[in-house]
Amino acid sequence: MLLRRAGKGDEEAFTLLYRRHQGPLYRFALRMSGNAWAAEEIVQDVFMTLMRDPKKYDAARGTLGAFLYGVTRNRTLKHLERLPREVSLEEKSENGTSTGIVLKDAFTPALHAEKRERMEHVWAAVLDLPAEFREAVVLCELEERSYEEAAQMIGCPIGTIRSRLHRGRALLMARLEMLRDTPRRAGAAR
Amino acid sequence: MTCDEFEAMGLDAGREASLSKAQCDAAAAHAASCPRCGALQGSWEAARLELRSLAQVTATKDAPARVEMRLRQQFRTQYHTPRAHRMAIVGAWSLAAAAVLVGAVSWVRWQSSKNDAARKTNTPVANQGSSQQNNFADSGILVADNELSDFTFLPGVLPADADDGAILRVRIQRGALGAFGLPVNEDRAGEWIQVDLLVGDDGLPQAVRLQE
Repeated sequence: MLLRRAGKGDEEAFTLLYRRHQGPLYRFALRMSGNAWAAEEIVQDVFMTLMRDPKKYDAARGTLGAFLYGVTRNRTLKHLERLPREVSLEEKSENGTSTGIVLKDAFTPALHAEKRERMEHVWAAVLDLPAEFREAVVLCELEERSYEEAAQMIGCPIGTIRSRLHRGRALLMARLEMLRDTPRRAGAAR
Repeated sequence: MTCDEFEAMGLDAGREASLSKAQCDAAAAHAASCPRCGALQGSWEAARLELRSLAQVTATKDAPARVEMRLRQQFRTQYHTPRAHRMAIVGAWSLAAAAVLVGAVSWVRWQSSKNDAARKTNTPVANQGSSQQNNFADSGILVADNELSDFTFLPGVLPADADDGAILRVRIQRGALGAFGLPVNEDRAGEWIQVDLLVGDDGLPQAVRLQE
């Protein structure tokens, strides 16, 4: 209904549509890319596509949310293919403010630093995963979707999700172990 | 449960609804009895906690407001500009059509009035009774004075024959009066004069009246 109205030039309907769907799409793109600018561009691109050609969405094939997620996923994977090693944990905007992940619940500067460092390790470990494993981890672990839901979104059997998640977890744990050990070793060397 | 089975599904215990309670219990028992799988589970639980923290940090992230602004701007450009452009084109064509129409009507009226004026000067005027007036008016003939006493009857015409005639105002050369059997001053024969002709039912002139 909103999409039909938006297709006829109703700006309010389009805005409502955007506000309803942008959050999950942006978070998915952000978690997959680790780059706030890239996530922003991807979400904008997705809604531009919807705006230019709303007929691309076929209601008979699923919900609009699933369609938008599919477009976001494709754009994100393309972005990752283009910039395979681009890992941005935190970016600075022109005025120097942070645009990436910011921890707001730190109690003390020391705790803040420690928590931030740990989070950066996890984030780096997730971003270091190959895209297909990362996608399974993002969907099932970060977004806490069921395997069935994730399989539907990606368009693959549940068994594939299971195996990707299994491999992704193993790689993630190995990477986290390595990252945890690195500061310890650095501290021992000092 | 074996170590391979634990690796395949044990880490899902407690989160995946597809695992039965018996499978979850078996996984927990295996983790308790196998140091390697127990360490694996511990390692994964730690990683999962960190993933949860990461999820919480990003859970409230939304696209910046500038994305919405850009999209709305683009939306306006895409939908409203073509509409305004279309309306402007339609308006311009309507104005042009209206101008052409007004021009055509004005030209027709001007032509019509020009023809009327020409008829007024060149065409004789008839007047005979109200019913005949209408007929002559339709054919563009002006009505003249219907007083028959001023008419000079042509030779061979009786006044009684002229009762149903029509009066036509014409512009002729004075010399043409000779054709009606009237005397003509030869010196002024080429002069144009305006005369009223009383025309009978047969279309032949029966009397003539010179204008002042």
